[in-house]
Amino acid sequence: MTQSLTDEPAIDLVPSRPAVWSRGLVRKFGKTTAVDQVDLSIMPGEFYGLLGQNGAGKTTTIKCIVGLLRPSDGTVGIGEFDTWAHPTEVKSRIGVLPEEFNLYERLTGAELLDFTAAMHGLDKAEAAKRRNELLEMLDLGNAGSKLIGDYSRGMRKKVALGAAIIHRPPVLFLDEPFEGVDAVSARLIRNLLQQAAAGGTTIVFSSHEMHLVEKLCTRIGIMVEGRLTIEETPEGLCKLTDRDNVEDAFIAAVGGEGVDHLSWYETSSG
Amino acid sequence: MVRNLVGLKARLTWNGIRDDTQRRFGFPIATLLLGGAGWYLANGYLEAAEGMSPVALANLAGWGALLFFAAWVTLPVIIFPLDENLDPQQLAVLPITHREIVTGLAVASFVAPATVVPVLVMGANASVLSEGWWMVIPASLVYLGLLAVGSQLFSAAISAILRTRRGRDIATFLILGLAAGSFFAYRSIDGAVTEIGVAAAVTSHPIIDWALVIPPVAAQRAIVEAATGDPLGALVFLAAAGLGLALLAGLWRRLLGWMLTTPQEGSRPAARARRSGFTSGLWGVVPTLSRKELRFYVRDPRQRLVWTGTVIFVGLAVAGTVMGTTGFFDIRDNDWAPLMAPVLVLFVGLPIALNLFGWERNAASYLFVLPATPRQLLLGKNLAVATALAIETVLLALLLSLFTGFWQWTWLVGPLAVSAIGCQLAVGNFVSVLTPLRLPREGTDVFAQSTEQGCLAIVSQTLSFFTIGLLLVVPSSIMALTVSFGRPIPAWFAATAAVAWGLLVYGVSLWLSSKLLRRRLPEVMAWVQVV
Repeated sequence: MTQSLTDEPAIDLVPSRPAVWSRGLVRKFGKTTAVDQVDLSIMPGEFYGLLGQNGAGKTTTIKCIVGLLRPSDGTVGIGEFDTWAHPTEVKSRIGVLPEEFNLYERLTGAELLDFTAAMHGLDKAEAAKRRNELLEMLDLGNAGSKLIGDYSRGMRKKVALGAAIIHRPPVLFLDEPFEGVDAVSARLIRNLLQQAAAGGTTIVFSSHEMHLVEKLCTRIGIMVEGRLTIEETPEGLCKLTDRDNVEDAFIAAVGGEGVDHLSWYETSSG
Repeated sequence: MVRNLVGLKARLTWNGIRDDTQRRFGFPIATLLLGGAGWYLANGYLEAAEGMSPVALANLAGWGALLFFAAWVTLPVIIFPLDENLDPQQLAVLPITHREIVTGLAVASFVAPATVVPVLVMGANASVLSEGWWMVIPASLVYLGLLAVGSQLFSAAISAILRTRRGRDIATFLILGLAAGSFFAYRSIDGAVTEIGVAAAVTSHPIIDWALVIPPVAAQRAIVEAATGDPLGALVFLAAAGLGLALLAGLWRRLLGWMLTTPQEGSRPAARARRSGFTSGLWGVVPTLSRKELRFYVRDPRQRLVWTGTVIFVGLAVAGTVMGTTGFFDIRDNDWAPLMAPVLVLFVGLPIALNLFGWERNAASYLFVLPATPRQLLLGKNLAVATALAIETVLLALLLSLFTGFWQWTWLVGPLAVSAIGCQLAVGNFVSVLTPLRLPREGTDVFAQSTEQGCLAIVSQTLSFFTIGLLLVVPSSIMALTVSFGRPIPAWFAATAAVAWGLLVYGVSLWLSSKLLRRRLPEVMAWVQVV
């Protein structure tokens, strides 16, 4: 019997232990400290929103946790595994939707899904079945045979999401999943993520779309200049900052209520 | 605008040296290597010109200008590209005309270490033709312009050809033609110089008479005419060279305009691949990774160009057979000629075998987040390279057997190929993990690669090829004693020893390089990702 996205993930994490964690994570680039002493504990089944302004350290943090960037200090891991001591075990438990479209442009959508499934050890029949269902669900049925290089931004995002979940990982990392996608695709991606979360998948989600963060996330972490300054539920964040919605609360939390107009744009001609 | 673009290029170059370790090492190495090459050429020219009659000197100068131009224009495409950090696609959104882009790119192209070569050679030229001192600067400037524009036009033309599916199909024949043409030219020049000497050779082929229709020769003739005391003639030839420069620049501008507004045509995946993805055929981490690589060899124009490099050897073999039985390609009388195939093919696979992860470009971050072990990653990529090399080796060996008519030792090509491929992959794995090379972003210009990286590639590939050669001493010596020198070693022993050696060297390398890759995975990814 095959499983659907709402079933339990194929590889379980211990419910009482954090699914995603970091202890004293530091990442420096030369003299710049991009991530500074970040301690994360995201429990299984959480839909965790990692927020921050551009350059706050969100992507760097995620890259360190998934094994793409070596921490300068501290430890990171998934469940019982330290990412840098057991990279293969960690990578078999995660799905990653990268911020940039670093996909194989010269594979078709169907081939990318098959390739990812094979690398995660799925058997051939199961891979074919999941690939076809994903292409259908993501509205990529006809595009499955086109090269990804010919895809639109939204199509790339969808096929990348399909590749991130084809092996039903217990932990999903999504970096800006809604950036640059149309309303229809955004709805589709949102539904898919809600299904995955309902099935017990832990989701770490970085986005600038605050209304979606408010709607989807069970907990929010806000990073400012490399530090994790606030961890709260969406309601808790609004209460803490005395604002009505997550967007205003976020702006207040990161101190973004500064100059908001250009003096030289006020006159009719330059 | 030109000043802005030159400033931009200088700033990009400086920032690259300051912030990129690879460039920090590469830039001085490139400058030294190129300086050495320029010095060697300038010295050779001065020595050849010494004591020559005015007629011979004029023709030597003409031939020198033409051959230097041809080499400058084609070498970036054939061996390593010029620094081309200024992407015309990015400039096209600025409020500047294509004419300004062309002029700016041409002038900015001299902000690179390679410029030291023409400067040294032109210094030697000015010294040889010092009587025409008043024409040296204007004619040299026009000649420099021809070098810049000619080089950019040729690269752009090749890029334009590779943009279309049909163009990519004919690229193979283009390479074949270039290879055979270069070989014919080399043999003709070498034959004439050896037979009658430089002075007589250049005098009997008076290129200077064609100056009006060959712009680089026209620029040179302007200096020659000035040196012989004919100011009017000098001005006429300077004008002819200038006209040639304007024509080439116009052509380049038109081509650039077309390239900026015409997207690259993607390759069409085969119908079977479209239908079944990867699920028909071998499955599993290593075979699937290997199949992905093989599909890229066919679908990526640059990789396809690398693999079609075998046709260069086919072209040389055909040319060598046609030209006669003397010299380097004295292959027709040797019954062991087919055994050259595995060694010749090694040249073809080098850019891929020595840079396994560079070809991933930004997709490296996709690959490295998948749960494949470093050993599986290397095995999958090695299997693909070995498959491609094996196919090309078999084809070349069969062709060489057909050309020479010797089939006695053709079966030994298999064991020797296992050894050769094993040694190449063994070295390739280390180099790929320790010094991966960043390849240019796919898009506007397939030859947009910086000089210092090109030079590093040459240094790294030369050293690697030397090491591969050393590793191959054992099997090739055994093979030599099997097919020649009285044949003291039986063929079955040579075959077994060659296979065993190849597998041993490869096995040790795989074990060590897997351990290295596990440690260096983030570093490899950072090096190969295109900014």
